[in-house]
Formats: sequence, C-alpha cells, structure tokens
Amino acid sequence: MLHLHGAWRLAALPALWPRLRALPLAPGIAVDGSALAELDSAAALALLWALQQAGADPERVDWRGFDGAPARVLLDTARRQSHRVPQLALPPRPALPALGKEVLSLGHLLRGHLAFFGQTCAAFGALLLRPRLLRVKELFAQIQHCLVEAIPVVALVTLLIGVTIAYLLGLQAEKYGANIFVVDGVGIGMTREFAPIIVAVIVAGRSGAAFTAQLGAMRLTEEIDAIRTLGLSPAQVLVVPRVLALVLALPLLVFVGDVVGILGAMLVADPMLGITPATFLERLRGALSLDHVWVGLGKAPVFALAIALIGCRMGMTVGRDTRAVGLATTSTVVQSIVAVILLDAAFAVLFQHLGI
Amino acid sequence: MNASAPAIEVEDVVTRFGEHRVHDGVSFAVRRGTLTAIIGASGTGKTVLLREIVGLQAPTAGRVRVLGTDMWAAPEAEVQAVKRRFGMMFQDGALFSSLTVAENVAVPLKEHGGLPAELLAPLVQLRLAQAGLEADAGAKMPSQLSGGMRKRAAIARALALEPEVLFLDEPTSGLDPTTARGFDRLVRDLVDQLGIAVLLVTHDLDTVLTVVDRLIVLADGRVLADAPPAEVVALDHPWIRAYFSVRTMLSQG
Repeated sequence: MLHLHGAWRLAALPALWPRLRALPLAPGIAVDGSALAELDSAAALALLWALQQAGADPERVDWRGFDGAPARVLLDTARRQSHRVPQLALPPRPALPALGKEVLSLGHLLRGHLAFFGQTCAAFGALLLRPRLLRVKELFAQIQHCLVEAIPVVALVTLLIGVTIAYLLGLQAEKYGANIFVVDGVGIGMTREFAPIIVAVIVAGRSGAAFTAQLGAMRLTEEIDAIRTLGLSPAQVLVVPRVLALVLALPLLVFVGDVVGILGAMLVADPMLGITPATFLERLRGALSLDHVWVGLGKAPVFALAIALIGCRMGMTVGRDTRAVGLATTSTVVQSIVAVILLDAAFAVLFQHLGI
Repeated sequence: MNASAPAIEVEDVVTRFGEHRVHDGVSFAVRRGTLTAIIGASGTGKTVLLREIVGLQAPTAGRVRVLGTDMWAAPEAEVQAVKRRFGMMFQDGALFSSLTVAENVAVPLKEHGGLPAELLAPLVQLRLAQAGLEADAGAKMPSQLSGGMRKRAAIARALALEPEVLFLDEPTSGLDPTTARGFDRLVRDLVDQLGIAVLLVTHDLDTVLTVVDRLIVLADGRVLADAPPAEVVALDHPWIRAYFSVRTMLSQG
C-alpha cells in the first residue's frame, strides 16, 4: 500500500522522484490518495511512469481514495500519456555519409550561384534595353552604404598595413643597406596585391554580410514575395542596385587603400629608414609602374561582382526562419573571402602569362 | 497565499506613447480557473496591456499584480519566481527556430525544473499531448510546422512548468475555422481540467461567444465592459453593437 501525502507538484518532483523510484512497487499495489492535498499533471505523470518502470501496470493498480481534482488530473494524464516519447537529443550523424552530403550540397551551392549569375546578367541585359528600369535612389543608397561609409575603416586598416609592411621590409633591407628598395616593395605590393585583397575582405564582411542579412530578413517578412506579386522583379529592384553599387565602389575603395597604405609606409620610412617624403615620392615615381596600379584596380570589380552575387544569392534563397538568416550571413562572409582569394590566385597566373 | 485572491489584478493602468494615450486608467481582475478574453478595436492597446501584465513593457502609471506579485514594483527575484508560475503564448508562437519542438518544450523544464533527467522526455510528451500534438511532432523543426501546429507547440511550451495562469495573444488568428474551434476547445479543456486561469486577447467572435467566461471590452483607453459575454452583447454601445452585429447579420442570413 502506497500512501500519498501533501502537495504533489512539479516543483516537488526533484525531491519526490528519487524516493518514488526507491520504493518496491509491485504489480497490483494499492495506492491511496485520500491524504493528497494537490496533484498536478507532472506529478501524476511521475507516479504513473514510476509504476510502469517498476513493472506495475497502472491499469491493475488498486487506486483508493482519489476524488475531485486529483482523480480528474490522474485520469486525464493517464489518457494522454504515451510510451512513444520524443527524442530530445538528435543522434549524431555518421561521419562518412555526412561528408558526402556536405560535398553534394557544395556542388549544389555552386550550381545555384552560377544560375543566379545568369539571372543577374539577364537582369542587366534588360536594363541595357530599358535604362529606365534602374532604381536610381536605391543605387545611391547602396553606394552611400558600400562606399562612403566604408572609407574610414578601409583607410584605417590599409594605413596600418602600409606601416607594418614598410617596417618589416625596412628591418630586412637595412641589413643590406638597401633602404630605398622599401619604396619599391611597398609601392608594388600595396597597389598590386595588398590593397585589393584587404579591401575586398573588409567589404565582404561589411557589405556582403549586410546584403544577405537585409535580403534574408525581407524574405522572412515576405517583402520579396510582395515585390513579386506587385509585378516587379526582385532582381531589378534589389539585386541590380546592390551589384552595381559594389562593382563601382570597390575599385574606388582600393584606390583609397593604395594611397593611404603608401602614406602609412611614408610615415615610418622617414624616422626609421631615413627616407624623407620627398625622396620617397621621387623613388616611387620611378619604381612604381602604372601597370601595377591598374592590375590592382582591375581586379577590384571582379572581386566586387563575386561578393555582391554571393551576398544577394544567399539572402534571396535563405530558409524562412531566423536561424537560417544568421547561418546564411556567416556563410556569405566565408564564401566571399574564399572566392576573393581564389580569384586573386587565378589573376596572378593569368597576368604572369600575359607578362603584365 | 490566499487561494481565493484574483490571479491577475490590473489597477488604474495608464500607458502613454509620446502624446498618445493608449490606456487611461484600466482596471480589472481575473479570478482563478476562469477563461477571460480582452476584446477591442485595433489600436486600443490589447496586446500592449498583455505585455504590461507579463512584465515585458512598463506601464506609464498604475499597478499590475500577477498571483499577488506586483510585476513592476516587486524585487527582481520575486518577479522571476512568479514568471515560472505563468505561461505566455505569443501571437506567432515565438518558438526557438534552432531547436526542435520537443527541445523547445524542454527549455523551461531544463532551466527551472531541476527535474530528474529520465522524466524529461515523458513530460515533454505529456505537454505535447495536452496541447493536442502527437509525439512525432516533437522531432520537427518549427519551420516545418503549419500555423496551427506552431500555436499548439507554443502552448505546449507555455504549459511546461504547470502554470497557474496562461496568457494567449490572439490564439486563433491565422487559423482556419475548424482548427480555430479545436483550439478553443483545447483552451477550454485546459481551464476545466487543469484549473488554470487563462487571459487571452482576441478578435475572434466565435471564441468570444462560445468558450469565454468573462469578457473585458477596451475602448477609448478604458474598460468599457467587464461581464459575461451574454451581458456584454446586450449592452448599448456603438462599437459593441457593430462588433456583434456581424454575427447577427450572419445568423439572419
């Protein structure tokens, strides 16, 4: 005979449960609820579950003294209870199939990017035929965001990169008395490689992520569907202004990076290597062929196109829940940076063959 | 604590947004074990009132007590403790999108319950069943659910800690009539079987006329009526007449 006393509530379960499990609950046991002050559904469940775990079928238990609210709660809980309990932790996926799935989804992703590139090209084609389709206001808003508001952070980072490169190069060059070659190194390195890559990475984190987050949130709130049902093309309204803005903005930002980076090098060259600004500029004019600058600036629009396309595509195709927007935004930044570095490697090989 | 004390007491609540007065002295009380609905035209601050009662948004003036605790004057620890004794279902469910339905229901149990681990899964199953969901639904992600299922999952999470009071924000909005009526019965059952006090905000005439015990009508920043639905219907006020006339027109064909 099991006598129940007092208030059986969810809050009391942590204390009740071990004692309940320690009891010998034989099949056919009698349970007396006449002294129960209160019984809630969680405690009723615990009682039923303990009986079942001990092999005592609640159907065969001799229930005594249950009436009023506790009886109702007990009956109701027994009716709703089921042995098919949900899994709270998903089983870990086996490694090999998971790897295969990832590879396949990567291929799927790349195919999707290519299709999106095609759609965007078609949208630009339509724009050439009917220039009035261009959303001028949106384009300028995006240029404001991608270009003007990015200048301070781009300047700060490239200034520090210029200082660092000049300092490290200077340490080596000093050993051979070849101080002046620091100007060559900084000039060529900054304009051809460092500024484009660094600025593209900054822009991927700023604008690429912003594109995905904005478009993803718009998809979540069905704004993109609204644009479609109003007979407008999301590609024209949302994608084209963003892509165009970034393609225009990135070369200009790279130019800012070139100038500020070289300025940074000039700042350390004077006190550390004894190269006055006048000598620095004189040497720069001779050492830095404009080809290098053009190569750096020429790569920028291609980087921008990749970043903008990835950012927009990830936003337009994000799943309809808040978690997916966060995941897609992270993915955009990673993909953009990888794309920029791959493209840069391809450019290096290409220019090598072209002899530039 | 006094068992006959009201579950919810709202006293002279005033809410101002800038110059705009939403509530101008709202007072009412909700008894335990009853199903009370707040109705009113759009913009009369029904949802705002609900957010003030559950402690999400501070009223400009006035007092709100839930289960005897003043939500805006009591010490933080006391407010936190009382929050474990009521549940809230948001309009869109507000399920955590990175967790499965079962994990969503388990969140309050894990955070506050201190429950034995082996009871967790059976308890989640019971809550899903109480909200009218199969155990299979527990493995789904919120994004895979239909609107009605999302609301049921949200109720299951709100019920997790065996609340004494349940707040529902537009529980039947966006549901088809059949599902909506099923939801009404579910809420009624929760009141009758678990003895919880339910306060809901709604626009749904069917809910108001079929399952609600008491109706609070908000208009012009005040409580226009606080009575059983049958008495409210009989009141002579332009908004109430207009609101219920839809039903009269329908029944007269």
